Amino acid sequence: MAGGGTTSDVRSLVSSLRSAYAATPVKLKIIDVYVLYALTTALVQVVYMGFVGSFPFNAFLSGVLSCVGTAVLAVCLRMQVNKENKEFRDIAPERAFADFVLCNVVLHLVIMNFLG
Amino acid sequence: MASSTRSQALLLLVVLLPALVAAFSEDNPTDQRVLVLLEDLALKSSHSIFFKSLSSRGYELDFKLADDTKLALQRYGEYLYDALILFAPSVEGHLGGNLDVAAILDFVDSGHDLILAADTHTSDLIRDIATECGVDFDEDTEAVVIDHINFAIEGESDHSLIIGDKLVESDVILGKGGVKDPVLFRGIGHSVNPASDLVVTVLSASPSAFSAPPNAVLKSPPALTGTSISLVSLVQARNNARILVSGSLDLFSDKFFKSSVQKFGSSSRSGSGNEKLAVELSKWTFHERGHLKAVNVNHHKVGEKDEPSMYRITDNLEYSLEIYEWTGKAWKPYQADDVQVQFYMMSPYVLKTLDHNGKGLFYTSFQVPDVYGVFQFKVEYRRLGYTSLTLSKQIPVRPFRHNEYERFIKAAYPYYGGAFSMMTGFFIFGIVFLYHK
Repeated sequence: MAGGGTTSDVRSLVSSLRSAYAATPVKLKIIDVYVLYALTTALVQVVYMGFVGSFPFNAFLSGVLSCVGTAVLAVCLRMQVNKENKEFRDIAPERAFADFVLCNVVLHLVIMNFLG
Repeated sequence: MASSTRSQALLLLVVLLPALVAAFSEDNPTDQRVLVLLEDLALKSSHSIFFKSLSSRGYELDFKLADDTKLALQRYGEYLYDALILFAPSVEGHLGGNLDVAAILDFVDSGHDLILAADTHTSDLIRDIATECGVDFDEDTEAVVIDHINFAIEGESDHSLIIGDKLVESDVILGKGGVKDPVLFRGIGHSVNPASDLVVTVLSASPSAFSAPPNAVLKSPPALTGTSISLVSLVQARNNARILVSGSLDLFSDKFFKSSVQKFGSSSRSGSGNEKLAVELSKWTFHERGHLKAVNVNHHKVGEKDEPSMYRITDNLEYSLEIYEWTGKAWKPYQADDVQVQFYMMSPYVLKTLDHNGKGLFYTSFQVPDVYGVFQFKVEYRRLGYTSLTLSKQIPVRPFRHNEYERFIKAAYPYYGGAFSMMTGFFIFGIVFLYHK
C-alpha cells in the first residue's frame, strides 16, 4: 500500500516536473542540452580513465576539466539569462553572453596549455 | 755575498732533491725515513733483528735517545721523518727537544705513522699518546698481564711471560698465512673501545688472563680480565695514518724472536711467532700492505664519453673508477667483489655493487631515479686492514624540460577529443544561442 502510494507520488512528481519544464523558454532548454552534453563527455572520459589508467594524467585532467568548466560556465549563463531569476535583473542577456564567451576563451586557453 | 748564499742553497737543494723526491708521497705510500727513539741505546742491540729487518727493507733508521735535546720531528714546517718508532716506555714528562704529546699527535694527524711500545712502568707520556689514539693502558701503573694457565715455562714464577695465540684473522694485517706460532708477551694490557672502528686488536689475551701487579694479594677484582685485554692493537686514523700499540717492548726483542716456547702443560716446544708478528705488523704500519688508492673516477651517460655537468631524471649512466693496491713496490690492481657506489641525496637512492675486470677497473651502470635534486656519487669502502676509501662527487639531477615531455600519446586521444569537442560545442552553442528567436 505504501509502495503504491510512493509510485503514484513519483508519477505525479514527474508529470508536474515535466509540465513545469515544458513552460521553460527554448533558449534555456538549449543551454540545458549543452550542459548535459558536457557532463556526458566528462563521464565518458572518467570511465575511459578507469579502464586505461591515469598515465597521461595531465591530459586526463584537462579533458575532464574542460567539460566540467564548460558545464559550470553554461550554468552561470543560464542563471543570468533566466528572466525568472530576479537576482541578475541588472545584467543584460547580451552582457551575460559576452562574459560567457570571455570565460570560455580563457578556459580553453588554459586547457590547451595543459593538454599535452 | 748574497749570490753565493743563493748558489749554496741551490746546491743544497740539488743534493737533497733525490731524498725529498723519495720521501712519502701519494704515488709511493711506503714510509722511507724513520725516527727511532730509544730510552737506552742498548735497545739497538737487544732489538737488532727487528731493526735489521726494517733497514733491509729500505728504511732509513735514525736512532736517537729519547731525551736527546736536539730532537726535532720537523724543521721549517716540513716533517723530517715519515714514521716514528717510540721504544721509550718510561721516559717522563716530555721527550728531548720539547717533543710532547701534542707534537707527536700532530705528527700522526698529518698522516705519519707511529709504532709505540709500552712496558711495565710505562710513563704518563706514553699512556697519554696511546689514550689519544683510542687505546687505554691499565691505569694501575704496577699492573702487568698475568696468566696462570697460558704462560711459558721459561718465564718467572709470577707467570707474567704469557703466550698469546689469539690473533686477528686478516691476511692484510698479518701477511699471507698469518702467524702460526705462539707469541711471547711480557708487559701491560690495554683496552680498546669496542665501538670504535678505527682500532683493531691484533693480539688479545686468553680468557684466563688478568691485569694486576705481580705477586700481590688482590683486594678487589682486577679491572681488566680475560679476552677483553688487548696486548697488541692497531689504529688506522681517518687520514689513514697507522699506529701500532704494543703493551710489551720485549715482544720486539731478539731474545723473544729467537727463544723457543713451551707452554705450561704441553710437552712440545716450538719457535716463537714474535719475529713474524713484529715484522708483518711493521710492514702493515709502514704502508707496505693494505694501502688502496682510487683514481680516474668517471661517470657519463650510456653511449657518451664526456662527463655531463648535470643529469636528467631517468637517464641511464655508467660509473667507473680504478682501485689499486700498493704492494710495497708497485701498484697492482685491487680485486674485490664488494665495492659499492651510492647515488646519494640525504639517503642512498641507488646502491650498486661494482663489477670489476680484474685489472683494477670497477664499473657499473644504473638509471638515475625519478627524483630531481643535488645528488652525490659516493664510494665508502672500509675493510679490515685496508686504508679506507671515501670518495664523493656532487652532481645535480634536473627534471624534464618543457619540450622533453612526450606528445600526442595514443592513450590520451579521448582526452584530446573531449577538449576539442568542448571547443566546437562552445562554437556551435554560441551560434545557436545567439540566432535563436
